[in-house]
Order: sequence, then structure tokens, then C-alpha cells
Amino acid sequence: MKQTHSIANETVDHARTREAWTLKRVLTNTYFLNAVSLIVFLLVWDYVAREHIFHDSLARPWDVVKQIVYLTNHKYAGTNLWGHIWASTRRVLIGFSIASVVAVPLGLFMALNTRVNAAVKPLFDLFKPMPPIAWVTIAVLWFGIGETSKVFIIVIGSFVPCLLNAYNGVRLVDPELYDVIRVLGGSRRDQIFHVCFPASFPAVFAGLQISLSVAWTCVLAAELTSSRTGLGFLIKRGMDTYKPTLVLGGMLLIAAAAWLTSQLVNILEKRLCPWKRHIENL
Amino acid sequence: MAYRKVEVATPLIVKVLPYVSILGFFLVWEIIVRTGIVPDTLLAAPTTVLKTFFVKLYDMDPDGATIVQHAWVSIQEAFTGFALSLVIGIPLGLCMGWFKVVEGLCRPIFELIRPIPPIAWIPLTVFWFGIGLTGKVFIIWIAGIVPCVINSWVGVRMTNPTLIQMARTYGANDWQIFTQLCIPSALPMVFGALQLALTYCWTNLVGAELLAADAGLGYLITMGGRVARPDIIVLGMISIGISGAIIGFVIDKIEKKLLAGIRR
Amino acid sequence: MNANEQLLKIRCENISKTFIQKGNQEVPVIRDVNVDVRENEFLVICGPGQCGKSTLLRIIAGLEIPDTGTVLLDGKPVEGPGADRGMVFQSYMLFAWKTVRHNVELGLKLRGVPPKERQEIAQRYIDMVGLQGFENHYPHQLSGGMKQRVGIARAYANAPTVMLLDEPFGQLDAQTRMFMQHEIARIWEQEKRTVIFVTNNIDEALFLADRIVLMEGKLPGTVKTEYKVDLPRPREHISMDLLRLRKVITDNTELVL
Repeated sequence: MKQTHSIANETVDHARTREAWTLKRVLTNTYFLNAVSLIVFLLVWDYVAREHIFHDSLARPWDVVKQIVYLTNHKYAGTNLWGHIWASTRRVLIGFSIASVVAVPLGLFMALNTRVNAAVKPLFDLFKPMPPIAWVTIAVLWFGIGETSKVFIIVIGSFVPCLLNAYNGVRLVDPELYDVIRVLGGSRRDQIFHVCFPASFPAVFAGLQISLSVAWTCVLAAELTSSRTGLGFLIKRGMDTYKPTLVLGGMLLIAAAAWLTSQLVNILEKRLCPWKRHIENL
Repeated sequence: MAYRKVEVATPLIVKVLPYVSILGFFLVWEIIVRTGIVPDTLLAAPTTVLKTFFVKLYDMDPDGATIVQHAWVSIQEAFTGFALSLVIGIPLGLCMGWFKVVEGLCRPIFELIRPIPPIAWIPLTVFWFGIGLTGKVFIIWIAGIVPCVINSWVGVRMTNPTLIQMARTYGANDWQIFTQLCIPSALPMVFGALQLALTYCWTNLVGAELLAADAGLGYLITMGGRVARPDIIVLGMISIGISGAIIGFVIDKIEKKLLAGIRR
Repeated sequence: MNANEQLLKIRCENISKTFIQKGNQEVPVIRDVNVDVRENEFLVICGPGQCGKSTLLRIIAGLEIPDTGTVLLDGKPVEGPGADRGMVFQSYMLFAWKTVRHNVELGLKLRGVPPKERQEIAQRYIDMVGLQGFENHYPHQLSGGMKQRVGIARAYANAPTVMLLDEPFGQLDAQTRMFMQHEIARIWEQEKRTVIFVTNNIDEALFLADRIVLMEGKLPGTVKTEYKVDLPRPREHISMDLLRLRKVITDNTELVL
């Protein structure tokens, strides 16, 4: 069914007529509108900051950029900007790697084995509704304010989406694909290795993407509560010393870092499943 | 295949295992705390947590409110933010899906704000609104609006183009197609966003309360940490989990009711 | 029966199957079906949609277990799916994550044929279905007709003695479908196998079949009649003999909506 939709979409796209460059066409051009929107956004931001509408609590965009540039070559709380970015990224990567390495196989395993599923799923359902950030306090109580507690929270946070997606990825495989293996004379093991795992790949990657964004939220929460390095620390310090430039700079950097890591996962996915485009259209 | 055989017999062990594992989990938890394998300064046994729960029903120490009051504050914040994100996010997403101009104008800003974790806004909201209700509602709104916008947008975009062409041949104008065809066909996707948005809201609510609050379940956890009472921390975590699960369940039921009306 | 009767390959005896739908509702799908298939015969099971013909094929493949009756393959009862019966599916069922070559090689790989040998075999069948040059393409890069060619090559490469085709051209457009019918007839002439071909299209059945088993158009499905198609090959869709037989069959088929 859906395939016809996408085909129909393509025809509509290709059939778009070529028109002359009229004023209306320029005004409704997507890139033009995007540019307008960004410029207006920056101007409004600048205006609001300049006129002190929120008192002194909003910095002008240019000041934020200056602050970021300043931090790249000046030490702030022991390290320069790259050190802070790396501190956060390192935590995310460690926690995220641990979570995905454990959760993805566990999710696949749960989907394949009803007994494991029956034993693990209820525990998992028990922990699932608890937001990972709620673990911050007890993590600090258990592991102190060092790296361990931060990594722990990230692991907790990214575990759930990884596991859930791997689990659902296997569950949603077209059962007729197993029939193909059976007809070709394959065993249960062949079904798992030739159908289950590859078919669940796209779902696993979708889970990794979600996990990664949760991981960034978690690292931020952990760093906001207690840390001496990292982007969350910069934001927190900006809050405590009432420096909006620092807060906004931190926000922009964390957005950029989160975006970059998710692009990395995207590239990895394209590398590992060159056939992915097909699944998307399915 | 139109028909699939339903598995009739579930092995007994598969039926029993869930209960065994839940029971075992609580038992192990209780035992490791009682026997002192894990010191009770780090973790409270489930029975202690239960006791604390009953105490906290009327006792305001050490955090200045009973658990019901805390829960009420959290739910109030969550629902105000959630409702606001629905009211603003869904129409915005629908319009972005259909009107090229709206999409062109809103998308860059949306894409700019989207990767910022909502709790990163906490310092700014504290600057702007103080640590009261407004700031937290703002953060929850930011958190909830993202899935609302994306799902309604994609929902409109996924409208079968053949149907749109069909409507055009019947002489419908853009506005009629949008309201009569695109919005109804986007509804299932929009409802899908509710659950997602709620989860985001609830997660970020906890974050907001942990960092800047004077009441709420997240604040209860913070206070538990400050006075080093693991029983209060665990109680706070469990209350958040249970309330989140209950709200999710209710939304799910509502969603199913409404969707049943659309599909038939 | 004529004198040079060929060897019996498959015998279905009193096959019945009931599915249980959600809510414990019982749906009898086929009842008391008896079909014999001879060695190297091209048998077409023809009937309108929802008459249990696909289920019958899946039972022969061993994918479903019948409630009553047995399927005998070379005199031995079928107990499950096996490499001696190859199957082609209506919705292609290609592995999206494997290239054409790896899809075709899969059956050989599962049976532990060494890489070099299986590549040779796969190449032979890829050539046979006319897909040379597309060995390293992924299924999403192929058209519907090409996908089904891969499905056919995959089944043939595994060297089954019986080919089961479950409405293989059901998702193709009319022209491709006609072309694929010629192709499958050509392939069958080239590599004689016992073929059971399920379709709802009478023209397709007449064009391909040695014998047509017509099934009743409502559930539970039963065998209505059999027609022997003693026409020379290669056939034409518009030859008079074929059209005459077509009229007989159509008159015997009631329209079910």
C-alpha cells in the first residue's frame, strides 16, 4: 500500500511545472523564506536583548558568539572550551556505548526467547516509566559526583530506547520472510542470522538515535546538578554568576554537539545498511 | 495471509515467570538492604519506602509538603505545559505540513531549537520567570511541542496525494482540502504524538524540578538527597514512575477511544 | 488416463485445514482436497480470491500442518518444509539487505555449499532469468518483474524437485505479467521440474498448465473440477483452442464478490 504512496509522491514531485521568476514565486521560495525567518529571528532576539525587555537576562546574539570565541582560547574553570565539549561528549559516548552494547543484544534476545522475555520484560516495564533524570540524586548518593554517576545516568537513560527498538524491530519482521528460510531448508539459527538480525537493523538504529538524544539530556541534567567540567557546567556557572552569554553559548554548543553526534550515527547507519532506503519506503 | 493461527497453549513457565521475576526483584532488593550488603545510607528497603510513603501522606517533614501536595504540583505543571504544547504545537505542525510559507518561515527556527535539550532552558527560565510554576510550564511546553509539531507535520505530508488530486477534481480549494482531507488523515499520527509528548513532558518536568523548584515530586527527590534520606529519594522516584505510568495509561485509553471513532 | 502416464510425484489425500481467527472464530479454509501431481507436470491450481488455494500450496510446502490428511512426496509423508520444494512468493519476499547474488545464493549457503561453487550456480540461474548485470543490485533498485525473477532464480538455484509458485505475478502489471508467463514457460521447458502454480487468472492458467485444478470459489475451498490442457507449446494467448477451453472454464466459474 505505502509503496504506491511513495511512487505517487515521486510523480507529483517530478511533475512540478517550471514557472518564470515572478515576484510571488520569489516570495514563496523556500530558501528565501528560510533566510527571512532566520534573519527576523536574530533581529527580534537582538532587539529584545538590546532593549532589556527581560531585564539583563538575555544576551545579544553577537555577544554570545564573542563569548564562545573567547572561551576557545581562554581557560574557564581549568580548561578551555574544547576541554568542556570533550568532557561532555566523552561522558555521552561512554554511557551510550555501554547502554547500546548491552541493551541491543538483550532486546534482540528478549524478542527471540519467550522465557527470557517473560523474565525480563516485567522488570523492564517496572523501570520504564521512571524518567532517567529522576536517577540523578541517587546516582550522586551512590557514586559521588565523579564521572561514574554521570555515566550511570546516561546508561540508564539510553538503555530503554535501545532495548525497546531492538525488541520491536524483531517483532515486526514480516513472518513470511521466515517461511522463505524454512522453504530453502534453513534452520532456526539461519532464521535468526539471516532474517531477524538484518531486518531489525533499521529499528535498532532508530533506537540508537533516540538514545543519543536522551543521553545528551541526561548528561546535561547530571552536569547541571554537580560537575566541574562540561557544557552543562558552563550553563550552570552562567546561571549562578548571572551571565546570560554563557548560558546561551552553552545551549547553542550542546545543541550543535547533539546534532553532530546524531549525524555521525546517521552516517554509520548509511555505511552499515546500504539497503536502508528501501525499508523506509516500505 | 488473511488468517493466522492463534497460539493456544502458553507454557506454564512463561505464565509464571513474570510474577517470579517481579517478586524476586523486590525480595533481592529487600534482602541486600536488610543484611547490610548495601548500607542503608545508600538504599532503602522496599518496606521502608512503603512505610515512608504512609508517613509522608500526612507528615510535611523534611521537605515542607505531603506527598499528595507534591504530586499535585507536578501534575498541575505537567498538564499545563502539555496542554499548551498541544494547543500550539498541533495547529502549527498541521499548518507547516500544508502551507509552504508557514513551513519556510517556521522550520529554520524549529530546527534550531529542536536539538537543545529542554532542560538546558532552565537557567534562562529562572532568569525570566523565577522558580515558580511559569518557568517549569515553559520547559515542559518546549519539551512537548517538538513531537506535536513533527507528528502533525508528517501526518499532513503523508496524506495520500491521489486523494488530494481527487479533491481537486471535485473543485475543492486549498483551504477545504486542508481542513476536510489533510487534517482528518493526519489525526492518527497526531494522536501518536500525545503519548510521546507526555513522556517528554514528564521526563523534563523531573529535570526542571530537580534543579529549580520549591515543590513537586522532583523537589522531593532533591530534598531526600540533601538530607541524605534514601527512602525519600526512592519514594520520589517510584511516585514519579507510577504517576507517569498512570497518566500514560489514561492517554492511551483516550487515544484508542478517539481513534476507534476515526478508523470505522 | 493415457497410456504413457508419468510417475506420481505428489499426492494430497483428504487435506483439510481450519484457521482460528481472533476471538476463537473458526474459519474452515480447505476441506477434503485430493490432488495428484505427476513428475515434471505443470499443474495450475486456479480459483478466485480467498478459496484456500494458497493454503493448499503452503501445506504442500510444509509451512502449514493440515488438520486432516497427508501430503505424500515421492511416497513419503511431508512433515515440514525442505529444500526439495522451492517456493516463490506473491510478494517476492526478497531479503532487502542482500544483493541479487546473495539472495539467489542463500539456499546454497544454508546447505553449506562452498562459496565458489554456489557463486557459479547462482550465476547460472541469474543468467537464466535474464538478470545478468544486476548481480550486485539491492532489491529496492529493481522493478517488480525483476524482483520476481530473483525470487524464481532463488528457488531454482536451490535445486528443488518441486517448484511451488504462489500467485507469483499477482503484483505485476498486465504487460509484465504476460511477459513473465512466457519466461516461466521458457524456464520450465529448459529446466523440467514438477511445478505447482497457484493463480486466480484463467488466461495465465491456460497459457501455462498441463492440467488445471479448479477450486470452488468460497470457503472452505474444495476441488471443483480438473481440466487437461493438451495444447502444443509454445502457446498463444489468443489461439482458438485455448479460447474455446477458456469459455468452458469461465462458464463453470461463478462470480464471487
